[in-house]
Amino acid sequence: MKDRLREALTRSRADYTEIRVERTWSSAVSFRGRRLEAATASEDVGGFVRALNRGRGWGMASFTSLERLPVMVTRAHELSRAVRLEQPIRLAEVAPRQAEALLDLDGDVRGVPLAEKKRLLEAYNGAMLAVSDRVVDTLATYRDEVSEYWYVNSEGSVVHELRPEVVLSGTATARRDGAIEKGLESIGLRKGWRSVRDCVARFRAAAERAVALLDAPAVKGGTYPVVLDPELAGVFIHEAFGHLSEADIVYENPQAREMMTLGRRFGKPLLNVGDNGAAAGLRGTLPFDDEGTPTQDTPLIREGILVGRLHSRETAARLGERPTGNARAISFRHPPIVRMTNTYIANGRGTLQDLIGDIPLGVYACSAFGGQTLLENFSFTAAYGYMIRDGRMAELVRDVVLAGNLFQTLDRIDRLAGDFRWNQMGGGCGKGGQFPLPVTEGAPHVRIAEALVGGELGR
Amino acid sequence: MSEPGLEGLLDAVHHRADGGDALWRREERTSLAFEAGRLKSAGVTEEAGTNLRVVQGGRVGVAGTTAADARPEELLARALASAELGEALALAFPSTLPLPHLPLYADQVANASLDDLARMGRALVERLTRDGCQVNVSIEREVSETRVANTAGGNGSYGATACAVSTGLVRFAGDDVLMVYDQVVSAALPSDADLDALVASIQSRFDLGLRIAQPPEGSLPVVFTPAGLAAILLPLEMSLSGKAVVQGTSKLGESVGQEVFDPRLSLTDDPLAPGRASSRPFDDEAVPSRTLPLVERGTVRGFVYDLETAARAGTVSTGHGHRGVFGKPRIDYSNLVMGTRDGAGPGPPGPLGGGLLDGIADGLVVDDLIGVGQGNVISGAFSHPVALAYRIQNGQITGRVKDAAVAGNVYALLKRIGGLGNDARWSGSRWAPSLLLEGVSVARR
Repeated sequence: MKDRLREALTRSRADYTEIRVERTWSSAVSFRGRRLEAATASEDVGGFVRALNRGRGWGMASFTSLERLPVMVTRAHELSRAVRLEQPIRLAEVAPRQAEALLDLDGDVRGVPLAEKKRLLEAYNGAMLAVSDRVVDTLATYRDEVSEYWYVNSEGSVVHELRPEVVLSGTATARRDGAIEKGLESIGLRKGWRSVRDCVARFRAAAERAVALLDAPAVKGGTYPVVLDPELAGVFIHEAFGHLSEADIVYENPQAREMMTLGRRFGKPLLNVGDNGAAAGLRGTLPFDDEGTPTQDTPLIREGILVGRLHSRETAARLGERPTGNARAISFRHPPIVRMTNTYIANGRGTLQDLIGDIPLGVYACSAFGGQTLLENFSFTAAYGYMIRDGRMAELVRDVVLAGNLFQTLDRIDRLAGDFRWNQMGGGCGKGGQFPLPVTEGAPHVRIAEALVGGELGR
Repeated sequence: MSEPGLEGLLDAVHHRADGGDALWRREERTSLAFEAGRLKSAGVTEEAGTNLRVVQGGRVGVAGTTAADARPEELLARALASAELGEALALAFPSTLPLPHLPLYADQVANASLDDLARMGRALVERLTRDGCQVNVSIEREVSETRVANTAGGNGSYGATACAVSTGLVRFAGDDVLMVYDQVVSAALPSDADLDALVASIQSRFDLGLRIAQPPEGSLPVVFTPAGLAAILLPLEMSLSGKAVVQGTSKLGESVGQEVFDPRLSLTDDPLAPGRASSRPFDDEAVPSRTLPLVERGTVRGFVYDLETAARAGTVSTGHGHRGVFGKPRIDYSNLVMGTRDGAGPGPPGPLGGGLLDGIADGLVVDDLIGVGQGNVISGAFSHPVALAYRIQNGQITGRVKDAAVAGNVYALLKRIGGLGNDARWSGSRWAPSLLLEGVSVARR
């Protein structure tokens, strides 16, 4: 394959050309209620070519028939030539790499019979259903893949990787009369079969939570001191801040750049935030991004001050900064764009009890159903929460939706506990039509002195 | 597989399984992206793949591939291995059925050159450019071919085109970000009138957003624009799916024939709407398309089904099976129409709110919300911060509202509709007017 790709590169007439090819073997099993939805094995093959010429724009071509590679190299060049630019696109320097990065498959999922994957998921699904008669519906999914990946560019980079991934999720729906509640568990690992065989307790806990939420009151909407568990704190930093640190948001926009000026204070001195695509063994980890740039640990906020942002080669050149290895594509169907990898709030000190001890009335918000950001405004939905009353955990509450403004909220983070952990969840990040991108988030317990918790007023 | 050889594949299925069906689809897309007013990139995508479903020993299995070098026997072997683990299901594949005629292929879309598309984009950039603002435009043109066949003799194919023009205006001013987006999607190229409406829609919402208004608070009348309606309709879409009915999670599963909503609410799925990118003569399981009433004047009439959920529910498919190359078919809506669609298309754009603002002393117009689809959607409860919303005071829009959230339960709110606007339009594959709901909870911070 490498020779075939090099050969295609030598025939390209563009000033710069890069080619990615992927062959992905995957299998998927899903249960809905007691019923198997499907157990399937699939094969997905395709390539992507991107070409750039001086004074011209990007030309791109993606395809599922690899025989079309030479035609597509030509097509990408022609498309680039068709786009005239006054301000040329430049790419920041990255030393060409030749690398074989065959990641540990940790029990190659391709060698495990589909029937065995079905048995495993059936047990996890059964554990959710066994919790209570009130669990009226479940959705349990298992998905694995091994992707063989090649990347070459006309500057001499040649990368060959073998990337494993395994994702499990469980949703339990509990119902009593008209009330419907959900419990969610999600696990996503850049690993293989060996890592997912001992998760039954986590699935059971999701169903227990759904049942417990039937009796929980909705949180009363209003402004509270809020403590986020590490999982929700991770989603928060990804959604609320991470996306704004992606340089493609600011590189074409002087006003946006002003808002994200390096050196601007974003939080109190206790706040340190970064993105580390090279952290060992995480779902968002890879040796290189999809432009062949090595991944790294990039500090974004240091002691409350904005110190960095995430780059592709194009955004780095444009802003006169260094590439950070954050140009990623979810598959050969898409161009690389600036994305996060493993985003974190660095550890603090003390325990959860230290954070809630002096709160007379507050909310402890846990786990995440999801989150969305619209530049400076964000919303995320906790899976469940507890009221904090007189410095202690009190009753379970449902419908905890946190909404806020990034700048105000980051500045209101006033305590971090010393219990940092990475949250290796399934799902993934979505941007520019590319979803789901494998990412990880990490954080300790985080306290926000004041945040808006949604919910109907006065109910 | 490189050839659309469904006949060969189904012959193999005939020999080795009780029955089956297959879908082959090829898509070619051309896309242009203008960033900050400049054309930055142009791309093409060529994609083809085959999805196969077999029934063997009463059990169902599926397999898919995009590999051009995959052999039919290899795909069949994987589908059979999947069927060995599969659930028992009495699937009845539709036999040869008369298929409605539906023109979905527009030569002008298929033949449009890169220059034609770029000119359209540049014209939009020129019309929308203003000082201190960034204009983004993306144009995507798709030409596709779909073939569906089964071992019961059902067989059909059609070509289709689609063109999506999306544009947005973004302004950063200090820490305030104002973003206004809209798009036109159809099977044909957008007309001049479509593009005029797109520009007007963005300019009017942008201009109204320049002034910031204090958010109101309390239980208030809220006008949801056709774009802002997503959070209101999503729980209904989930509960009107035959899948939710079969699973026992639908809030409407037991409500057929009952007047659950205000009599002014009607919902219809219309796969035969002419000129729409989501229209189709038959679904991906070879079931002919037909217009399907879901809610008629407040009364629940029925649900959308594909072959599998219909078999499980003891009913017939409504022609809402959707399948990709991978995985098994699932239920999907085509064009969801709220209210009625008389007349060919939207008229010239009127003022925001569709004429519903008169008489509102204090309230909101909601055009976009953050986090729609998160949380416990099927229950009908929603709670979202606003992404783009305006304050109404004494029947007039007085500015854009930031830092506010709306919440409520759609089942309670839709029992009494305050009014339907005169501004019905397509937003993607949904046709709807603005909708006034009373008593929506509005919180500010």
